[in-house]
Amino acid sequence: MMNTLTIKLWDGFIRSFHWLLVVVLAGLWYTGGDIDYIDLHHQLGLVMLALLLTRIMWGIVGSQSARFSYFMRSPIAVWQYFKAPFKHEYVTHNPAGAYMVIIMLALLLSQAISGLFTDDAIFFRGPLAHLVSNDMVRSLTRYHKQAFDYILIAIALHLVAIFVYTVMKKRLVGPMITGRKAYPENAQVNQPKQRHGAFGLVLLGINITWIFGWLS
Amino acid sequence: MRLLTTFSALTVSIGIAALAATSNPVQASAFTQAEDAVKYRQGAFQLIRENFGYMSGMVRGEIDFDAEQFKQRSQALYHLSNIPFDAFSGAGENATDNSDALPAIWQNRSDFDAKAEAFQQAVKELVEAADSENMRTIRPAFMATARTCQQCHEGYRAD
Ligand code: HEM
Ligand code: HEM
Repeated sequence: MMNTLTIKLWDGFIRSFHWLLVVVLAGLWYTGGDIDYIDLHHQLGLVMLALLLTRIMWGIVGSQSARFSYFMRSPIAVWQYFKAPFKHEYVTHNPAGAYMVIIMLALLLSQAISGLFTDDAIFFRGPLAHLVSNDMVRSLTRYHKQAFDYILIAIALHLVAIFVYTVMKKRLVGPMITGRKAYPENAQVNQPKQRHGAFGLVLLGINITWIFGWLS
Repeated sequence: MRLLTTFSALTVSIGIAALAATSNPVQASAFTQAEDAVKYRQGAFQLIRENFGYMSGMVRGEIDFDAEQFKQRSQALYHLSNIPFDAFSGAGENATDNSDALPAIWQNRSDFDAKAEAFQQAVKELVEAADSENMRTIRPAFMATARTCQQCHEGYRAD
């Protein structure tokens, strides 16, 4: 066994966020478009909105490895990355993965926001639908029904990437569970500054509270 | 007794003769302009939605359950439940820009009609459920009706 260097990569908030996202998204997929579950879908959508908002805030004030400014690189870096995807050791996201994070957050956020303006033409109107014209409600409802496919595509890409990395002996799933990642001893990596995940969870609690107060 | 039988036989024959004389097929709709038919059925669906939406507020616990109000709304819905479907015939079969009705309606007319009947049947059962004044009986009947809206919109109303 080679000597290794262990780094604390994902704080408790990021890990909770990630797995809550999976569970809530599965729930939204299951309940979406089923008239029997529309109220549950609405509530889950608000939880999703709070999760996304808190993740964005954590990407500004949270642990270094969670910060957008820490892991976003130029498109040129992405190009170079794809020329030799398994050569370097990365702390936090690699350059391509970083863009994937942004795309995923943007898709989920537009899904959740468009949901607030939906009208199912039967008995449900999203909590903000009254603020915009009928045409706008119509377009956003259509968007909400169609754009979920892009989310599914993004998830498929995400899973394929993890599979490929696992085959190439780079472990990504373990760190998202334990928070820690082992690198070869000679790897040129620094420990990113960590903030306690509990702060993020408190922030999540606050966001859930005002979002439910306003939009449920 | 004989007289009565003869009389009714006579009435029936007169009736048949009268029908034969006006042998024009019965018009399903009097519209001559597609535009008017579309406005009519959309208006009818808006009335349906308003009443249904009001009931949904009680079923989903947004407003207090009032059995009398609920009965009235369910009866209004019952009277409305035939209205829009007349306007899918005659002039209503022609496409207009303002309609969300999909061409599939006229390609699968019998399926569309079956979905309309399923809706009307569900509304009938909702009216009966409303008489129970019991939300436990009403809720499943209400949701069953909502599903008939959705089942028709899925294939026949543009997103
Ligand atoms: C990221 C969060 C969300 C996700 C992933 C999501 C996902 C979905 C999915 C997969 C569907 C089914 C689309 C179809 O019928 O093909 C759906 C439908 C729907 N969603 Fe969401 N949703 C989210 C948030 C919301 C929110 C916040 C609301 C409302 C407050 C909402 C309201 C609706 C409504 C009303 C429908 C039914 C539209 C219709 O059938 O006309 N959604 N959603
Ligand atoms: C309680 C049940 C129903 C509700 C609440 C409902 C509600 C609505 C609403 C609000 C509209 C939009 C009207 C507009 O554009 O202003 C609509 C349109 C439409 N609905 Fe329904 N509906 C129900 C049942 C049905 C059923 C059972 C069918 C078919 C058998 C149906 C077929 C259609 C079609 C084809 C349109 C488009 C009409 C057009 O734009 O020309 N609906 N409905």
